[in-house]
Amino acid sequence: MTRYSIPQDVGLSAEVIKQAQQAQRKKAIVNIVNLFFTFIIYIIITIVFVTPFIYLLGNSFRVNSQSIWGNLFPVSWKSFIPYDGVTLKNYIQALGLDVVSQGFGMNMSRALWISLASATCVIISSLVFNTCAAYFFARLKFPRKNILLVYVLATMMIPQQVVIVPLFLVVRSLGIINTFWALVVPWYSSPFIVFLLTQYFATLPYELDEAAIMDGANLLQILYMVVVPNSLPGLLTVSLLEFQFIWNEFYWPLVAVTNRELQPVQVHIAAQFTERDPQWGRVFSAMVLASAPIIIIFMMAQKYFFQSTAISGIKG
Amino acid sequence: MKISQAITRVNPPTPIRWWQKYRNRNLVIAFLFVFPALLNFLLFRYLPIIWAARTSFYRYSFFRGFEGFVGLDHYIKIFTNDPEFINSLKVTLIFALTKVPIQVVLALALAVFAVRNIPGMGAMRAIIFIPVVTSFIVVSIVWGMMLNKDVGLVNAILQTVGLPRMEFLSSKANALPSIIMISIWKDVGYSVIVLVAAMKGISEVYYEVAMVLGANAWQQFINVTIPMLRRALMFVVVMGTLSAFQVFIPIYQLTRGGPRDTTNVIVYYIYKKAFQFGEMDYAAALSIVLLAIMLIFSLVQMRIMRSEEFE
Repeated sequence: MTRYSIPQDVGLSAEVIKQAQQAQRKKAIVNIVNLFFTFIIYIIITIVFVTPFIYLLGNSFRVNSQSIWGNLFPVSWKSFIPYDGVTLKNYIQALGLDVVSQGFGMNMSRALWISLASATCVIISSLVFNTCAAYFFARLKFPRKNILLVYVLATMMIPQQVVIVPLFLVVRSLGIINTFWALVVPWYSSPFIVFLLTQYFATLPYELDEAAIMDGANLLQILYMVVVPNSLPGLLTVSLLEFQFIWNEFYWPLVAVTNRELQPVQVHIAAQFTERDPQWGRVFSAMVLASAPIIIIFMMAQKYFFQSTAISGIKG
Repeated sequence: MKISQAITRVNPPTPIRWWQKYRNRNLVIAFLFVFPALLNFLLFRYLPIIWAARTSFYRYSFFRGFEGFVGLDHYIKIFTNDPEFINSLKVTLIFALTKVPIQVVLALALAVFAVRNIPGMGAMRAIIFIPVVTSFIVVSIVWGMMLNKDVGLVNAILQTVGLPRMEFLSSKANALPSIIMISIWKDVGYSVIVLVAAMKGISEVYYEVAMVLGANAWQQFINVTIPMLRRALMFVVVMGTLSAFQVFIPIYQLTRGGPRDTTNVIVYYIYKKAFQFGEMDYAAALSIVLLAIMLIFSLVQMRIMRSEEFE
C-alpha cells in the first residue's frame, strides 16, 4: 500500500495535520499488531502440524527406549533432539538387515520394494490405459459416447472402503488373491483419472490434431506424438496421485495379501511395528521409512498436488 | 444398354465386408482405446456389487462354498436382530456428525488465514497439507504413541503445564473423541486447500463493492466470501461425510473397535465379520446395506446441489 507523506507548508491548519499524522500512526500500529498475530498463528500451525514429525524423526535416532522416555518429561527441546547419542541401529533393525530382527519378522526393505514395485506397475498401466480412455472421450467420434461417459463417472460414486468385501470375492474367484497381482490388477485403470485427463485433453487445441491428420498420422500416432507431449504436466499430476494412492493404500492389501512375503509397506508396519512394541526407536524409524518417500515427493512437487486438489474441488 | 450397366454385368460388385467399411473400422479402433478401462470398471467396480448382492441371498463360506438359498434372512437379521450393527451405525453417525462440522469450520478459518499472499504463507500451506499425503497408518501409530498414558508426548505436555495425566484411547469416554481429533488433524489440510483455491477464484470486485458500501471485514466474510464459496463448501461437506462413513484405519490400528464397542464403526464391523469370523455372506449383506445408505445420501446431496444451481 502506498503511504502518502503529509506536505507541511501548504496552508493546512495545524489541527488537520495532527489528525492525519494520528491516523497514519494508528494504521502503522494496526499493521504491527497484524504482523504479530500472523506470526503467532504461523507458530501455532507449525507446532500443531509439524511437532509429531519432528518427534518421530528425532527419536528414530535415539540409542534406546529409555533415552526416549527419560527425556520426555518435562517437555523441552531435549524431548525432540537426540542430544545424548545418535545411532542408526533402529534403521538397521527395521530394515531387517541383521539376523536378530529378521528372526522377529522385521523386513522393511522387502516391504518397501513391494510397495515401489506395485506403485510402478500401477503408474505405468494407469498412464497407458487411462490416457487411451481419456483420449477416446476427449477426441474420438463414437455413437452414444455420453452413455459410456456416464458408465465411467457413475463408478466414482461407489465408496471404495465399503466394497472391499465384494471386491475380495471377485478377485478371489479370478484366482489372484495372495499374489503380487492382487495389489495391481484392480487399480490398472481409475475413473477419477480418466475424468481428470479427459478434462485436460479437452483444453488442447484441436488444430494440432488436424495438422497431424493432414500429415497422415493415425489415431495412435496422434495420441503419442501430439496429445501426450502437450500434456506432460497433467500426466505427471496423475502419476503422483496414483503413487500417493498405492503407497498409502491399506485396507485392500491387508485383506488381499495374507502372505508376509508380499506385504506392502503400510500393512507391514501395521503388523510389525505397532504402538504396543516396547522398542520405540525401531517403531519410529519404521514410520520414517514408510512416510519419508511420499513426504519428500510432495515437498518437491507441491504445485501438482495442490492443482489436483483444487481441480477435484472445483469440479464438485 | 448403357455402359455402366454393361460394366456391372461383367464385374458384379464383390460384397463389401463389414470390416472393410471405413466407418465401422474406425469405430472398432476407437472402441479399442476405451475397452481396457471399461473392462476394469466392469470387473472391479460393478461386478463386485452384483456378486455381493447374490452372495447375500445364500449361505456362503470360503471352505464350503454356496450352501443353499436363504432369501432375505441376512437382511432381516441385520435390521431386527443385530444390536452390534445398530450400535456401529450409531457410532459411525456420531463420528461423522462430530468430525465434519468441526473440520469444515476449522478449515474455513485456516483458509481465510492462508489465502493471503504474504511471505511464508506457501510454507504454511505445505505444512498444513503434509498430514494429508502421509499414510493414515503412520499417523495412527504415531498418535497412538503420543497419546500413551505413561510415556506419551501429549500427557508429558499436560503434566508440564500442570494438568493431570489422562487416558485417551483406552478410556470409554475419550476413545472416540481421540479418534475424531486424529482424523481431523489428518484431513483438515485437504479441505483448506480446496477452500483456498475457491477463495482465489472470487473476483476482487465484490470486495471492493462491499468496502464502498461500508462493510467491515466480518460483514465482507459473511456477505461475500461465504455465499461465493457455497459450491466449494458443499463439496467439502459431502466429501467429508462420505469419507467419515468409511473410516477404518485408525480404528483398526488403535482401538480394534473397543473399549466396549465405543469405536466400533460400521466398516470395521464389516471387516471383523468377513475376515475374522469368516461370515462372508453376512458381511456381503452388510456391505450392500451400507452401500445403499451411502448412495441414497449422495443422490440427495446431488439433488440439493443441482437445485441450488438453478436458483
